[in-house]
Amino acid sequence: MGNMDSDSGFTETEFMICLAARVLEDRKSVFVGWGIPQVVALLAERLYTPNLVQVFEFGAIGPQSQTPFVQGTMGGPSNVYRSLQWTTMNWAFSYAATGYLDYGMIGALQVDPYGNVNSTLLGGTYDRPRRRFAGSGGGNEVASLCWKTIVVLKHEPRRFVERLDFMTSPGYLTGLGARETAGLPRGTGPYRVVTSQALFGFEEETKRMLLLGVLQGLSADRVIHEMGFEPRIAEKVEVLEPPTREELAILRGEIDPARIIIGRPAG
Amino acid sequence: MKVLASGASSYHWIHPDDFREWVRIHKSREPEEKLMTEQEAVSRFVADGDYIAYDFSSLTRGPQALVREIIRQQKRNLWICAEFTLHDSTLLVGARCADRIDVGFLGYGNYIGRAVVEGQVQVFEWTNGALAFRMLAGARGIPFIPIRTLLGTDTFLQSGAKVVEDPFTGDPLCLVPALNPDVFLVHVHQADVYGNARIFGTNLFALEAAMASRKVIVSTEEIVDPLAFRQEPAKTTIPHFLVSAVVHLPFGAYPGGVPGRYELDLAHIQQLNAIETEEQVQGYLEAFVYTVRDHAELLEQKVGWRRLADMMRRGSIREGYQ
Repeated sequence: MGNMDSDSGFTETEFMICLAARVLEDRKSVFVGWGIPQVVALLAERLYTPNLVQVFEFGAIGPQSQTPFVQGTMGGPSNVYRSLQWTTMNWAFSYAATGYLDYGMIGALQVDPYGNVNSTLLGGTYDRPRRRFAGSGGGNEVASLCWKTIVVLKHEPRRFVERLDFMTSPGYLTGLGARETAGLPRGTGPYRVVTSQALFGFEEETKRMLLLGVLQGLSADRVIHEMGFEPRIAEKVEVLEPPTREELAILRGEIDPARIIIGRPAG
Repeated sequence: MKVLASGASSYHWIHPDDFREWVRIHKSREPEEKLMTEQEAVSRFVADGDYIAYDFSSLTRGPQALVREIIRQQKRNLWICAEFTLHDSTLLVGARCADRIDVGFLGYGNYIGRAVVEGQVQVFEWTNGALAFRMLAGARGIPFIPIRTLLGTDTFLQSGAKVVEDPFTGDPLCLVPALNPDVFLVHVHQADVYGNARIFGTNLFALEAAMASRKVIVSTEEIVDPLAFRQEPAKTTIPHFLVSAVVHLPFGAYPGGVPGRYELDLAHIQQLNAIETEEQVQGYLEAFVYTVRDHAELLEQKVGWRRLADMMRRGSIREGYQ
């Protein structure tokens, strides 16, 4: 695929969604978190992973969601359209707990070098935070139980922090082996962090975040400069191609025609 | 069993034998007619200080008409189980009905976030899964249930969970206390006058919560013949002997949708999502809750037939919902 496909620019959110959709694998299963991950799963299903089994915590197993995507809904008839099974939340999470779910995808307010996630609060103390947000929802379950967790968030210095204001959902906690010591299922953990500028994995020996790729046109230095901690850097940092014409056509034409989530490119 | 760590938070819990005793005395196995108005159901079965759970979400098949009636009756000091609370927590806190929330997922918008920051409502940290499994334990008649989540996180530290040494594996394991709510509110597709109820589509924990709760208020889109349940028993979600009251409330999930019946009213929901200030929440409550006598009057005076018909028209996906 050529990288000249993007003609008239794209938004950061569009790139983030396209990149995350490329990370998913066909013929596997994914626990889809609320919000942006739903849009990622829709795009992936349309273009890359038609046989991916999606699971929603609302009890939908294997939906083929209809578009356009209505922001905020996850259990509506268009979200859970033509599922393999309609069940309840306890069963949805039980599929993750017994190892049936290969990937999990969640958003985050903040992420730390070990892929631990904050979606609860910013600043202050627990009792009196500076700002309060939604909390775990099902994020803690996804991050604890799926084999490979993908975290999707905007690339901003305040979001990549050495120390989280609150650890809502587990990454590798304090490093190699810490999840198992805490009692989390063996062999699970964060797999990729997808941002609006870059793609990260995790270093084998330390489980610290590892820069794998940067958006075409950006330097690794620039990407790292916009983080609150220094990640490890892969020997060869991949160049990530911008959203393709095909990806943008589906995102803008089918999934989010009102551009509520993906926004509009400047100019 | 060795307790390795305990979360800091308090939690709603009753001994399983006390719950069994309640069931024995208060939940009649006899099919009694329980059809009543929302005023009667809420005034008889919701008390100040009660712990309240509901199913499904604010946008989909939520018991919104019952929530508005609770606000109208100015119930106080409620503790709500916020599995998917969006604007209903904003309204319950804004109306000074709820002062404690088990989170779950605490959306939407800035009003509820600010209410936490300013200490107007106390939150207790859980997760959607932990709350659902607590409900499962409550419905199994056991005091707690083991889960393999929360472990290693601040969410655990601010919850009421415990980490123990698992007597089977020797590994750390998280235990969450059973949840037996005082009240469960659920809006369903079909019910009969005795409280047998059907939900079509997914649900969070409707059967578990109906079993685990002392008092269960079912609001329903449609009242059906009791024989219908015996003719297709596999479709029964909740049998009558779990239920305290049945309220016939077509469009009872308004402004949310009911799958297979009607889509949500997006414009009204955007209005709710935009609530940020005290003035805005009071303005909304005044306009849509306090100034109408009941749900029927809300639909007649504030929503209108045209909008309802449009919601029905947009709710065109029917497959799977009968």
